[in-house]
Amino acid sequence: MVKIKYLLIGVLMVVIGIVVAITLFPSEEKKVKKQFHLLSEWVSKSTEENAFTMLQRMKDIGSLFNAQCELKVPDQSLSGTYTREEISTYAGSARSHVSQLDLKFYDFDIGFPEKGVAKVTLTARLTGRSTTGEQTDDTRELECVLKKIENKWLFSQIEVVEVLIK
Amino acid sequence: MTVHHKIRKFFFPSLTPKFLIRVSLIALSAYLFFGYLCIPFAIQGISMEPTYHNRGVNFCWRLHYLFSEPKRHDVVTVRFAGNKVMLLKRVVAREGEQVEFRDGKLFVDGKEMEEPYVLYPCDWNLPPRQVEEDHIYVVGDNRNMPIENHHFGQTTKNRIMGVPLW
Repeated sequence: MVKIKYLLIGVLMVVIGIVVAITLFPSEEKKVKKQFHLLSEWVSKSTEENAFTMLQRMKDIGSLFNAQCELKVPDQSLSGTYTREEISTYAGSARSHVSQLDLKFYDFDIGFPEKGVAKVTLTARLTGRSTTGEQTDDTRELECVLKKIENKWLFSQIEVVEVLIK
Repeated sequence: MTVHHKIRKFFFPSLTPKFLIRVSLIALSAYLFFGYLCIPFAIQGISMEPTYHNRGVNFCWRLHYLFSEPKRHDVVTVRFAGNKVMLLKRVVAREGEQVEFRDGKLFVDGKEMEEPYVLYPCDWNLPPRQVEEDHIYVVGDNRNMPIENHHFGQTTKNRIMGVPLW
């Protein structure tokens, strides 16, 4: 009986140790995923957002991107290389046209083709309402490249995959 | 055994090893069946109206095309990066065929197609285009919207996840 008690305590301690290790030392995959969660949180907008929060979010969004980030968007004039300041400004401008916005990511497939580079394929869904009351609902498959710079994973390339080609 | 006892045993069974194994097997089977073979999904959007309504619930049956190819007029689910978000569309043309819209009418290889499922008026015009090898052409049933706002086109066959159960 005493032996079982010690065995159970041992197992419990090992489990707690694993949970603590995972929490304190997240894998590179988790760190990459976290960047997407932050992007989702900062791009999303609630109806109660004030001007101060909006400016802070603009700055925050920029901090997730590399100094130069390449955007590849089919059939649109948005494709090109942008600085993080340009991305911040563009994001702020786009967010000012909506009263409510929700960005969610699904189906992550994360790979590390070389050291310090992460390639992520995922589905992005953007829903919201414009200031004029129009409903927005757009889903895209994205291929993103993130580079590890100064121990931070930063977006370096975002490509929109054409799932349906007219 | 009294009725009361039977009811009690049904709702509060004894946690015997046999019972736990049975519950685990049922949970595992349900996870595999509903996670990979018959995926539940909620319809969001009006692109398949009036055949499928917004907020409807259905299941994606993945084994439908195990031994066959998608046929014209089949309703299929098209995946993005994974199966969390899918598109529900109708196959209108197969590889090698030429698709065209003239004044809202669908033409495949120059022949006007009968589409009893399209009930809303449509005024689309789309110049002829060839469906590439290993691709199929999918469109929603609701074409009562500007052509730019409707998500349709050709996609690779490996993006077809299955068919809705009903």
